[in-house]
Amino acid sequence: MFALAIGMLFGIGVFQLLRRDLIKAAIGFSILFSAVNLFFVAVGAFEGKYAPYVSNVEAGRQTSDPLIQALILTAIVVSFGSFSLVLGFVNIISRRYDTVDSNDINKLKH
Amino acid sequence: MESNPLLLGTLVTPLAGAIVTLLLAQSNQLQRSIAVLTGLIAWVFSVALLVQVHDLGVQTYALGNWSPPYGIVLVADSLGALFAFMVTTIMIGGLLYTFHCQDRCMTYPAFMPLFLLMEVGLVGAMLTGDLFTLFVFMELMVLASVSLTAISDDQYGLEAALKYILISSMGTLFLLLGIASLYATFGSLNMAEIAQTLLTGERPILAPASAFMLLCAFLLKSAVFPFHFWQPDFHTTAPTPISAMLSSIVVKVGVYGIIRLVTLLFVEEAPLLERWLSTLGIIGILFGSLAALRTYNVKRMLAYSTFAQIGFILVGIGWGGALAITGAIVYAFNHAFIKSALLLLMGVLASYTKIKTANFADVTGIGKKLPPALGWLVLLGGLSLSGVPPLNGFVSKLTLIQGGVDRGDWLNLIIIVGAGILTLMYMVRAWQNIFQRQPTIGAVETKEAGDSLVAPFLLICACLLLGTVFAEPLIQLVSATVSDLQDPNIYISGVKLYGNGT
Repeated sequence: MFALAIGMLFGIGVFQLLRRDLIKAAIGFSILFSAVNLFFVAVGAFEGKYAPYVSNVEAGRQTSDPLIQALILTAIVVSFGSFSLVLGFVNIISRRYDTVDSNDINKLKH
Repeated sequence: MESNPLLLGTLVTPLAGAIVTLLLAQSNQLQRSIAVLTGLIAWVFSVALLVQVHDLGVQTYALGNWSPPYGIVLVADSLGALFAFMVTTIMIGGLLYTFHCQDRCMTYPAFMPLFLLMEVGLVGAMLTGDLFTLFVFMELMVLASVSLTAISDDQYGLEAALKYILISSMGTLFLLLGIASLYATFGSLNMAEIAQTLLTGERPILAPASAFMLLCAFLLKSAVFPFHFWQPDFHTTAPTPISAMLSSIVVKVGVYGIIRLVTLLFVEEAPLLERWLSTLGIIGILFGSLAALRTYNVKRMLAYSTFAQIGFILVGIGWGGALAITGAIVYAFNHAFIKSALLLLMGVLASYTKIKTANFADVTGIGKKLPPALGWLVLLGGLSLSGVPPLNGFVSKLTLIQGGVDRGDWLNLIIIVGAGILTLMYMVRAWQNIFQRQPTIGAVETKEAGDSLVAPFLLICACLLLGTVFAEPLIQLVSATVSDLQDPNIYISGVKLYGNGT
């Protein structure tokens, strides 16, 4: 299940990132980060997926890994920060160039 | 748990400086003074750290006094301390340059805090002993440098910044994926613990895959073929001090990561990775040198030249013997000084023109109206870059070629020496065009005053010193570093993992 979801999210993310429309690319970027975060969660979820410290777990069964969830929080914050920065850039570019089509934003080409 | 406060000092001083400068947003001059001051304090800390690591071995700082592998640990081994020292030294040059810089973006209140945050990211990435923290620091560095380029005076800075953030985020995503795979297989993020497990010869299926993902992420950070296409745009459009930092020390984070990868973590896979590295390095050398010959802008020429110089370093790592890695590290160290000095000089040149440009078509022949010191400094920097004695470029070329002779890889050696001549060609051509020829009709008008020459002058002086007086100590220091790197156990036992017989 996890593998399927991660694969799909990754595929959608890469596809969107390669679009010519910069807004779609920015959203693809966010989807890609979610895919990686989900991969991280999947790494920490062992059999049964019991929450650490709170579930009453029978002896001999493993709870989920709490460290992963702390890491994920950091990763989400980082991805959110860069996502908002990208959106800000796209916003200014759309005003400066009057377009969000990456084919028309080519002033650096000489 | 013994903790060395110097590590924390090197890292926290620029962070504190960033916060203080942000609070002092009204006074621009005060912001700059405090930034230079924090840069100097961080430099003092890193020098002390380098000396201590050299005398006493690996130094660690366990954050929150949690023993590694359970807590996050900062580690300064000889490689990390050397690179951190390089970063803080070059950073002083960049911070000094902002003092008399007339760019409009320097007056933005967020400029100096972002600059200092970039230093935090760089130093942190080199001093951390934990993979996830490495990711966080690298992302901090990328976000800071991207924002700084986006507010550049160059109107195309924004476009380059958007391009870079999308590409580099793909790189950090792969870094994160690699880290997650390592965590899935080893249940740890501590580099020493992972290295210890890998040394036992255990090879779960995800380990080589994650090695490849980490390698790709680091290659992207250093702008190596095939991940190079963002680099010339990004380095050309950034504000002068930022582009000097980007082209000299930010690309070295990737080099540092690659050296860590092949000497500490994936020692067994190293021969395979190294074969890739030398091929990519050779492509980089050829492409970078030829592109630098033909480009239309002086700053862009230097950006392409960085691309070639990183190629030299990668070939050195790819050869893989002790001598060759010594050559690569010496090369990385010296290149940081030369390239930052040259880019600052080109920034000074551009600041003397009315429309602030560095295109060959505009600046050809304007050198006659500029202070003569500028021309001589550019010539010195160019000769140093192409490896003419007695400058430090010669020392780095010499040690690298010694490593190559040691490996007996004659084909690559010939390419390297040939590319050195290409370097001489494009640097001398640029110098002649700007400072020797009569002004052409298209040349732009010059201003009376431009940016100050102090920072690039100091950096060129450092180049001269590194090529003469300090050449021998530097090579000895790096040789000691490399002999430490040959045995990953030095790093592993230095971190003093909990339950490892302590």
